[in-house]
Amino acid sequence: MLQRVARSIRLKLALVVLATTLAALLVAGVALVIFDLRDYRQAGLSDLVTQAEILGRASAPALAFDDPKVAREYLLLLKAKPEIASAAIYNARGKPFATYARDGNASPVLPRLPGASGSRIEGDHFVLFLRVEENNEILGTVYLKSDYNWLARLTDYLGIFAIVTALSLLVALLVSAWLLTTLTKPILDTAAVAREVMERRDFSLRAARTTEDEMGSLVDAFNDMLAEIGRRAEELEATNRSLEREMAERRQGDEERARLNAELEQRVTDRTAQLEAANKELEGFSYSVSHDLRAPLRAVVGFSKLLIEDHGRQFDAEARRKLEVIQSEGARMGQLIDELLAFSRLGRKTMQMNELDMTELAQTTFAGLNGHYEGARPDFYLGVLPRAKGDRVLVGQVWANLLSNAMKFSSKRPSPRIEVSAISDEREHVYYVRDNGAGFDPRYRTKLFGVFQRLHSSSEFPGTGVGLALVERIVVRHGGRVWADGKPDEGATFYFTLPKEQVHE
Amino acid sequence: MSLATRSIRPLRRLLLIAAAGMLAGAAGWPGGSAWAQEDAAQLEVRVKAAFLYKFISYIDWPAASFAKPDTPVTIGVVGADPLAAELAQAVAGRTANDRPVTVRRMKAGESLDGVHILFVGKGESARLAQLAPAAQQRSILTVTESDGALAQGSVINFVVAERRVRFEIALDSAEKSRLRLSSRLLAVAQQVRTGP
Repeated sequence: MLQRVARSIRLKLALVVLATTLAALLVAGVALVIFDLRDYRQAGLSDLVTQAEILGRASAPALAFDDPKVAREYLLLLKAKPEIASAAIYNARGKPFATYARDGNASPVLPRLPGASGSRIEGDHFVLFLRVEENNEILGTVYLKSDYNWLARLTDYLGIFAIVTALSLLVALLVSAWLLTTLTKPILDTAAVAREVMERRDFSLRAARTTEDEMGSLVDAFNDMLAEIGRRAEELEATNRSLEREMAERRQGDEERARLNAELEQRVTDRTAQLEAANKELEGFSYSVSHDLRAPLRAVVGFSKLLIEDHGRQFDAEARRKLEVIQSEGARMGQLIDELLAFSRLGRKTMQMNELDMTELAQTTFAGLNGHYEGARPDFYLGVLPRAKGDRVLVGQVWANLLSNAMKFSSKRPSPRIEVSAISDEREHVYYVRDNGAGFDPRYRTKLFGVFQRLHSSSEFPGTGVGLALVERIVVRHGGRVWADGKPDEGATFYFTLPKEQVHE
Repeated sequence: MSLATRSIRPLRRLLLIAAAGMLAGAAGWPGGSAWAQEDAAQLEVRVKAAFLYKFISYIDWPAASFAKPDTPVTIGVVGADPLAAELAQAVAGRTANDRPVTVRRMKAGESLDGVHILFVGKGESARLAQLAPAAQQRSILTVTESDGALAQGSVINFVVAERRVRFEIALDSAEKSRLRLSSRLLAVAQQVRTGP
């Protein structure tokens, strides 16, 4: 039932009508009953007073002339008032003078003595005493006792009220049923149209406008809304179509791009392979060149040495000096060729990975370098370095190159100083070598690690220009990076990293 | 108090008193019925006196009967001295129709001027035929206590029925006297005569 009420506007409205009717009836009924009971009580009392006054006035002569028969006749007139239960007239001495009882009882139960003038309610009776006076003389007292059946009256009222309520509700129901039909029909019609629109997706349908009231304007609004929705739907479809077209185009574009990408990747792979091949070729070439250069060089150096040893005396000092220059330059070229060989060999050599005690390695390397170093001995500060995995020979080469660089470039300082330490993060160890040497112009920091790239002339600081390129190559093969910081005359710091997890080649 | 008297039981004392009473009655002790008769006559007089006074309230006299608003209502009494005495005592200090009430004992030949109610006692009923027309002329309410008095021109006549004082009224006489009697008075009258 509740569900049905919740789903039907007709039932709801009918309930509203019935509830309103019932509420109005209840309020009116209660007010009426209260008013009537009050009125009944007041009217009853005032009736009784009137009755008693008439009776008193009429029976005054009977009292005055001591004629109870006449008084009794007057009392008997009360038969016309069936609500009066009993009545009496007392004489001036307070003795019953004449009595009356509704049920014909000759001696009804009466108060033994008359009370003071006045009326009151005793249980379900009105009781009244009224003095009969004439010429300021009390002749006697009228006593009346009348029914006060408020409960019976209330019951009667409630019965009538129930019948009236039932009839009113019935009429209200019929009227509201008729009214609601006219009221809800447009709603239901509109709802039907709405459902049809939903089912057929036909926005050209329109609800019929049958009334000029708010329902009419609702129907109008509904129709306007339908028109608007129809227009929007069309627009949306148009947009959808253009979007689909756009999507198709885009998909086509994507495919094109993917194809181009694949092509590009293929080209890169091809190019890389070509490059690697070229590189290999180049390495092989430079190795063989370097290797083949050594034999003639050795001949140049050896023969210039023989020339000094065997024919030294035949040369003057100037000639001897020039021969020595040939010798030393030849030796330097030999060194250059060695380093070039080492560098190119690095690309081919397989690495032997071991766990390395970097502190020990740096210390040993430094001690070895320091042992046959001719310049100023630098102060060497070595921190505790984390262990790392790497090829002992190659990493030792890194330390040797970096430390010898540091010693070389700080050798002209009054108190050369070299500091080696490391920091770590979760991925890698960063080792660095800091000196207080000649430093470099930071603009050229990227050029530092190229082969034969030199920032200082070899007359200023001897060197081949291969060392740092070798360092970079070794570190990169270990999966690390190298870089440098520095300023002219303020020293330089060289960093290299080794990963915590060893990369596998 | 002796021991013998003290020993008498309450019941026996009661019996003794009853016996003494019976003896006294048998011996004709003055009391009993003789007193009762005396009392009834006196009561009748008193009731009649009271009625006379009460009649005033139910009677309308012509305006000319009273000279001033506070002119007393005068009740003339002829031939009934005990009643006159009783009446004088009853009306002393009382008013009727907002007027004081006076009682006048009247002798034969005395003028009826200023009298509003004339009571003619049994003893003077012979003079009624003579008094009634004069009273009617002066709008005096004639009250009597003799059988057949109404026929002689009296307006109200006391009768005793069932040991109660009642009265009968002659409306025709009242009309002749230009007196209006309240219908409420007529209601308690034993009999109302409207014509001869």
